[in-house]
Amino acid sequence: MTKMLSDPSQGRRLLAVMRQECRLMLAERALWAVGALFLALVAYALGNGLVQTANRDRAQAAVAQADRDTRAAQRVLLEGILAGTAQPTPFENPADPSRMASGYGGHHAILPTAPLGPVALGQSDLYPSQYRVTGQSRVVFMNPSDIESPWHLLSGHFDLAFVIVYLLPLLIFALSYNLLSAERENGTLRLLLSQPLRLRTLLAGKLTVRAAVLLGPAVLLPVAVLLVARQAGLAGASGATLWWTLLVGAYALFWFALVVAVNAFGASSATNAMVLVIAWVLLVLVAPVLLNLAVTQASPAPSRTELATRQRIVTAEAMKTHAALMSTDYQHVGRGAVLVPQNGKIEIAGRLLGSYLIERDVDDAIRPELDRFDAQQARQQVLLGRFSAVSPAAVAYEGMTALAGTGSRRQARFEAQTVAHHEAWKRFFFPRIDARDALTPAAFDRIPAFMWHEEPAGLVRGHAARAVLQLLVPSLLLFGLAAWRLRRFSVS
Amino acid sequence: MLTRWIARREFLERLRDGRLYWAGGLVVVLLLTALAVGWAHQRDARAEQQAAQAMDYHDWLHQDRRHPHDAAHQGMHAFKPEAALAMIDSGINPFIGSTVWLQAHRQSEVKFNAAQDATGLQRFGNLSVGWILQVLGPLLVIVLGFNAFAGEREQGILRQTMSLGVAPMRLLAGKALALAGSLALLLLPAAVVAAIAVTAGAGEGERIDALLRFGMWSFGYAVYLGIFVFGVLGVSAASSTSRMAITLLLALWIAQAVMAPRVLSELSRAWFPSPTRLQFNQALGAELKAVSDRTWQENFGTTERWGRDVPLAKWGLALRLDDQASYPVYDRHYGRLWDTWEQQQEVQEWSGLLLPLLAIRSFSMGMAGTDFAHHRSFTTAAELHRRRIQDLMSADLVAHADPMGDRHFAYQASPGLWATVPPFDYRPPGAGWALTHQLRSLAVLCAGLLLSIVFAAVATRRQRAL
Repeated sequence: MTKMLSDPSQGRRLLAVMRQECRLMLAERALWAVGALFLALVAYALGNGLVQTANRDRAQAAVAQADRDTRAAQRVLLEGILAGTAQPTPFENPADPSRMASGYGGHHAILPTAPLGPVALGQSDLYPSQYRVTGQSRVVFMNPSDIESPWHLLSGHFDLAFVIVYLLPLLIFALSYNLLSAERENGTLRLLLSQPLRLRTLLAGKLTVRAAVLLGPAVLLPVAVLLVARQAGLAGASGATLWWTLLVGAYALFWFALVVAVNAFGASSATNAMVLVIAWVLLVLVAPVLLNLAVTQASPAPSRTELATRQRIVTAEAMKTHAALMSTDYQHVGRGAVLVPQNGKIEIAGRLLGSYLIERDVDDAIRPELDRFDAQQARQQVLLGRFSAVSPAAVAYEGMTALAGTGSRRQARFEAQTVAHHEAWKRFFFPRIDARDALTPAAFDRIPAFMWHEEPAGLVRGHAARAVLQLLVPSLLLFGLAAWRLRRFSVS
Repeated sequence: MLTRWIARREFLERLRDGRLYWAGGLVVVLLLTALAVGWAHQRDARAEQQAAQAMDYHDWLHQDRRHPHDAAHQGMHAFKPEAALAMIDSGINPFIGSTVWLQAHRQSEVKFNAAQDATGLQRFGNLSVGWILQVLGPLLVIVLGFNAFAGEREQGILRQTMSLGVAPMRLLAGKALALAGSLALLLLPAAVVAAIAVTAGAGEGERIDALLRFGMWSFGYAVYLGIFVFGVLGVSAASSTSRMAITLLLALWIAQAVMAPRVLSELSRAWFPSPTRLQFNQALGAELKAVSDRTWQENFGTTERWGRDVPLAKWGLALRLDDQASYPVYDRHYGRLWDTWEQQQEVQEWSGLLLPLLAIRSFSMGMAGTDFAHHRSFTTAAELHRRRIQDLMSADLVAHADPMGDRHFAYQASPGLWATVPPFDYRPPGAGWALTHQLRSLAVLCAGLLLSIVFAAVATRRQRAL
């Protein structure tokens, strides 16, 4: 290629081939049909991605607003209690740290959508994007929280990542399966190569035009739409957008390389089409499914049934330990004054204290089990990262969801941050409960709030670069194979 | 006789050109791999769930003396039994969880779905016998049959055959028989292995039901593949060249196998939107509070919890009233949500008329016992069991209401009370129930087969030798 570009005459001829290809393709209905179909698919997928992301943003904003409203109402009630104008109830007492640590005061940890979220909805419907953090064990609150029909979860979304991973290769085939074979079958290849034109220049011209037709809608349209629709978000995400563009380009390059390699063997157009479709079925449909199976077989997740049993057992043990407290009655009945703080201290009813101690024991006992799950998922992702190169579709999909912030890595980060926030929550409330310190408005304002810390740009870049490389290496190997075969390519 | 002769010739042709060996061999290897993986998974899951359920009840029975409401809080777990046919089609199971904690006060949702612990590649699909037949089965039919008419037309054989006076319908019947025979040669041995695995994997007393389900499941796939047999032959007959036939067939296959599930999923959700978690919880919470307040007002003349008017001695009574008032609220809200999901599914099943994959997907998981209807049956049974526990515990609290007024939680029931709660013994509905729930998708598949036969017949009748 370098040699070709350094040769001015071949450079001019490349342009001539491209012009000619453009004219030929424009005259053919195939280009218009494929181009229009692809544009429609991209537009629908992108529109769907934008709508889904906007719905999710709205739902998250409503959750955050509900949290803020509840906290504000609790603060007003607390001020009323301290001023003697309001009377708390045992289960709705913002001065009581054991109540505020529980579901009554619980606040959500929310994973915001990333600027590139609409291009790959990925696992966003499967992985929870919000957890209501309380003083309970995380086994209680770190569960899928969004409502979604299992049919939809099974089907997946029609997003841009789907169009690119599944359909772009097919459209590349539709435009290029007979790249050389048609010229040879028509007898025009011999005529073309009788001119001062190298076969490689001819191929490069044909490929460039086809790549432009497909990559225009696949890359430029989404980037332009995202700039308009999510301009605020994109301000700090130009790096991710660039890497997404490179990733799509590298994925398309792989399939173009395959097309060239298959054409270079000199078989008929029909054979080429059949070989390419078989390759697509194997690489896009079968290999990722087998890879997923291999990873989960090689490193299976611990048993959730066992976890459920363990949770029940530790809860029973904790309830037994604190049975004496659980046998005490609510002291406020008939004596409402005990619910009101006195000299900065508050009495916590025996049963409520018992519940707090039970939850604390359960949390301590179940934590190692949950750590096993986290470690296992991390191991599976490492295995996946190592072996996903067997399917360019898997590499591209994982890479795109990672850049769109809907992949496993960002989710694991969200979960780790939620766990850290849970620890901070417990550090804030537990000593106050133990010391029977009543909450004051000042303390209220210091209740830990979850702050999402985005993935470092360097980490995102590093993983994206690895994905691009995992696509470029097989592409170059295929081009190498094609170059070797083209040396002995027969034009007749 | 002539039909059989045509079929024999077609069949031999497919053996000679190697398509049957290579394409069929690949599909069979994948089928057997999926079956082995499904069988191992199901064996482990069933053993684990049965042990966990038995241990759960054993621990419930062997509780010490304690307050009944504390026992209800600790509750029990209900484990969804792994269906015998889950080894061939796991359906929605990986996405919906299998464990419900039956606790006091609230209806729990099923937790711990396998998708929670899966890798990012689960979106590409789970390798199961059902997935292979649904997605790769039609492709196999296309590879074996795309040139059945078009290829012969290109070679001039069709012209010769028709000039001999062979009726087009006989030709179609022969080619269809050959295609069906090729598929049977590949799939019947795999089906026999699967039937043995399903029978071996099913528990005592459910083998006949499992086999009935497997029989109907297989019938559904026979109809599904039949649609493609006639569809492929019809397109081949209507296409002037094999190239055109394969292009059109592949485009149709991609549209129905790859794109349709996602597009219809998005459309059905747009037509019948589900609420967000916040909307659902807020609506449920608001109605629960309103109903509870009304109950307290009617029974105690106040909505104030545990004051002078309502001492703790009435805890058991109030709990029972609250619980029983809440049951219809849960039924309404969860019922509405689940009805919405079933409406969404209905849209997809009707689409099966044009996109058979959507109908067979529903039928397959329905007969395998891994669809939403089965899940709803389990969840409802689990919730009824939870209510039974709550009602028994509350009845005991009412019977042992504290006469002193301030020693309510000091009461401890004897272990005899625990034995009044029966074990959670859930029996999934039978094959007949499953079939009744899948009549629509089966009817859609049969209608699809009929349409496909009519299309193939019309295309073949219009057959021109040139």
